[in-house]
Amino acid sequence: MKKALVVSVMIVLALLVLLPVLWTISTSMKPLNEVNKCPPQWTSPTMSFKPYSDMFFYLPFSTYTLNSLIVATSATALTLLIGCLAAFSLSRFAFAGKDIFLLIILLSQMLPGASVIIPLFQLLRHAGLYDTYLGLILVHTAVLLPFVIWLMHGFFQTIPRDIEDAALIDGCSRMEALRRVILPLALPGIGATALFAFLGSWNEFFFALILTSSDSTRTIPVGIGLFVGEYLDVWNQMAAAAVLFSLPPLILFVLTRKTFIKGLVAGAGK
Amino acid sequence: MRQKLFLTLLLSFTLLTCGKRSDVVELQDWNFGGRPRLIEFLRQRVYSFEKTHPGMKVIQSDKSWNMIREILYADFSAGAGPDVMNTHSNFAAEFGPAGFYYPVNKFPDFEEVRKWYVPHLLESTRYKDNYYGLPSSAIAFVLVCNKELFDKEGITPPRTWSQFREAAKRLTKDADGDGVVDQFGLVLMGGDKGGFAYRMIPFFFKAGVNVMSDDLTKIEFNSSRGVAALKLITDMYQVDHSITPGFLAYTHSEINDLFCSNKAAMSIEGPWFRGMVDDKSPGKDMYVVAVPVPDDMIGQYETAPTLQDMVMYSINAHSKHLNEAWELLKYLRNDEADMFWMTQDLGATATTLHALNSPEAQSVKDIQLYINELSHARPWPPHPSMIAIASNVFTPYCQRAIVGELSPKAALDQAAKEAQHILDAKK
Amino acid sequence: MKRLTPYLLLVPALLFTLFVLIYPLIQNLINSLSDVSMITGSSGWAGLQNYQNVFEDALFWRSFRNTAVYAIAGTVLALVIGLGFALLLNLKLGKFSTIMGCLYTIPWVISPVVAGFAWKWLLNDNFGIVNFWLSYAGIVPIGTTWLGDPGTALLSVMVARVWQFYPFAMVMFLAGMQSIPQEQYEAAAVDGATMVRRFFYITLPNLKAVGSVLLVLGVIWSFNDFNMVFVMTRGGPMNSSMVLPVLVREFSFVHFDLGKGSALSIIIFGLLTTLSFLYLKVVSRGEPS
Repeated sequence: MKKALVVSVMIVLALLVLLPVLWTISTSMKPLNEVNKCPPQWTSPTMSFKPYSDMFFYLPFSTYTLNSLIVATSATALTLLIGCLAAFSLSRFAFAGKDIFLLIILLSQMLPGASVIIPLFQLLRHAGLYDTYLGLILVHTAVLLPFVIWLMHGFFQTIPRDIEDAALIDGCSRMEALRRVILPLALPGIGATALFAFLGSWNEFFFALILTSSDSTRTIPVGIGLFVGEYLDVWNQMAAAAVLFSLPPLILFVLTRKTFIKGLVAGAGK
Repeated sequence: MRQKLFLTLLLSFTLLTCGKRSDVVELQDWNFGGRPRLIEFLRQRVYSFEKTHPGMKVIQSDKSWNMIREILYADFSAGAGPDVMNTHSNFAAEFGPAGFYYPVNKFPDFEEVRKWYVPHLLESTRYKDNYYGLPSSAIAFVLVCNKELFDKEGITPPRTWSQFREAAKRLTKDADGDGVVDQFGLVLMGGDKGGFAYRMIPFFFKAGVNVMSDDLTKIEFNSSRGVAALKLITDMYQVDHSITPGFLAYTHSEINDLFCSNKAAMSIEGPWFRGMVDDKSPGKDMYVVAVPVPDDMIGQYETAPTLQDMVMYSINAHSKHLNEAWELLKYLRNDEADMFWMTQDLGATATTLHALNSPEAQSVKDIQLYINELSHARPWPPHPSMIAIASNVFTPYCQRAIVGELSPKAALDQAAKEAQHILDAKK
Repeated sequence: MKRLTPYLLLVPALLFTLFVLIYPLIQNLINSLSDVSMITGSSGWAGLQNYQNVFEDALFWRSFRNTAVYAIAGTVLALVIGLGFALLLNLKLGKFSTIMGCLYTIPWVISPVVAGFAWKWLLNDNFGIVNFWLSYAGIVPIGTTWLGDPGTALLSVMVARVWQFYPFAMVMFLAGMQSIPQEQYEAAAVDGATMVRRFFYITLPNLKAVGSVLLVLGVIWSFNDFNMVFVMTRGGPMNSSMVLPVLVREFSFVHFDLGKGSALSIIIFGLLTTLSFLYLKVVSRGEPS
């Protein structure tokens, strides 16, 4: 009896929580004249997937998607590479300045984008990287780096030294030990970190907004975020864009949720 | 190993983004705003430009109209920016002397080209001794009235402020009988700082109020007539409740929504509105009339000025292809293009003599009203800080007065003080 | 060579941090002390004038208040909700709990921009479903405007933010709960403690460490939040939902006063560094030595 009550409460909560998501999906399938109906309705007889295809004609969403993919994948790869090396160094070596660096890493995570955007904007333009893939990738990498190092550092700490020491005794160099022993063990951690990094870049809005301006480099979040308030409001197409845009993170999350959560708890608990 | 793979990827991306072909002149053309039909037309026009001008390629980019100033500023100051763009003519006062826009009067054939246009419309692109663009479409701000709602109520579009207020009151009602007012007489565009100022100032102009003195040194919008103009709107909001309550967040799209779904009866708009509404609700009709005048000025109904705005096409002063950009500019704005503009109802009034005097002009809806209003309309004063004053001083204070934070007089006086401060600092 | 290895491994990361984080901070500091405009660049030393301009601007204080409310109230609310959900999930209903857990976490996976857009549409005064339900239930009249009313705009953005953030708290709390030693509960059961007593005397105290970390992290992240507010209201109407990060953009890219924007950036940085040190203190207190 009590269980049934709890179960129903939980289901109702789930529906409430997912209300915005469900409403967006519903909007994304309505024709335009149904979207502004008062009173609003969940379904209509004229629902279809047409807004999803229309969307690609009204705004260059295929370009935006390509851009988002390029930037997010590159930034993730780059930040994982650099981050792993740095995290390895911080976790396995004792050297002067280590604590300071750890502190800088921690503080960098809290750094407000607002505090760096203006000089960053000027720096990119002087380097000719304003409104380019490379510029945005580098900025994303730098923004993601502190968090990635922090997470990877936490993971590396959980790997006991004995295994590594065994490999060293067997004649491996430090770097080989890293590659052959530690990385495979830390794979779940790397997976979780890669997911975080990818999501971080995929969803990133602020820097993408200010550091790019043309359609050929624009990413999806900027496309969606800037849209609202123009002449013709195609809420249904924007909803379709929002749904499609949310699919990769959602799918990735569902596939990797165990490592995702484990990684989060392990990293943040430090 | 992974490192090498990645470096290769990184290098190829770098090459991709840096590669350029040097045998073809590439022009960057930014389109700000515009309805799908206009964008369609511009694509075709550019296509035929490329066909008739071999060796030139145009890359078009569509951008948001309501962020035009921020985008242009950010890009110009970064040394980036397009070769050609459409922009507000009143940016000439700010961007011209700042060195962003190229003075097109420097091109050798300018004296010929200028003859294409209605003279006083061309003047809008001028600041001091230079012309900073070619006129594209002229806008006069007018009052649009929802025909369905007006006819149902049995009233005609208002001409004086009293009639205006009365009409708004009568059109504010509970249309579906559920006990809640869901139809409003007037909708305002509070969500766009610039747009809001553009819709308030016609009332001031019609009342004979200037924004600033002719020599551009003294702020004048807080005169007693100016206060009366603001008080009209303030009373409509606070006393009659005939203005949509959510107006502070409304932009073009919300106003379009409300007008089309009969939740708003009147709005201050321009030539784009018919087409915009038609895109959403095909066949929805409206009365388009001049913005009302104060009661004691009814005799000047035909001659009192409204706000004139204009879109112009300009060239980036730092463009590496000035001559080619000029060719594109002329092609986008010549008689032929303007005829298309006018006959395809692309959302604004034509500016070439050729188009306006043609027989086709007669069949353009509301053309007589717009030509008439444009003949005595006034633009914003050509001061470099005018837009900043309008968006960042005039709009916020007017909004505060309307919602009741300040009295209209206090709001305009404080706004005038701040605006005067800006004017004085600029000397 | 071997001695240099740790440093070499750090070099790439250091370079990035230097160019994209440290250099801009220093440049901002310089900008904030100069007379800088977007067009003409720097035209000389201005001393503390920009800072004075910021502190004398009523808009700054308004934004500061808004940001503090948004950050603190929003985070506390998210924590409470997160705790509630965690408790429900901790009832261990097998597969059902796993599925529910996934569903409850979805708001967090969605991009803030999409969340902002979805909530903006949801809260639309004439066509949004929220108004429709609330007016149906008689709570508010239809046509109530949430994002267009200076009194409720910030609140509405906060709701969206809480919706986005609570899953993070939920996951952390759940993990914390699951690491509470069973013996404590068993001992309490032996002593005859009720469920409520167990919650207050065992669960909560054990979650204090996690809670403090979450609180400080949440406040810091909310303080930094540009995306949500920008997409939903741009800081309006009439600056009623203006928060500090959006204000930086407003000063720099709308008023074109780079000096003032830079000064504000430094001020925000100072505020956040203080909060970060607080975070460090809280975390170290929780850690076993």
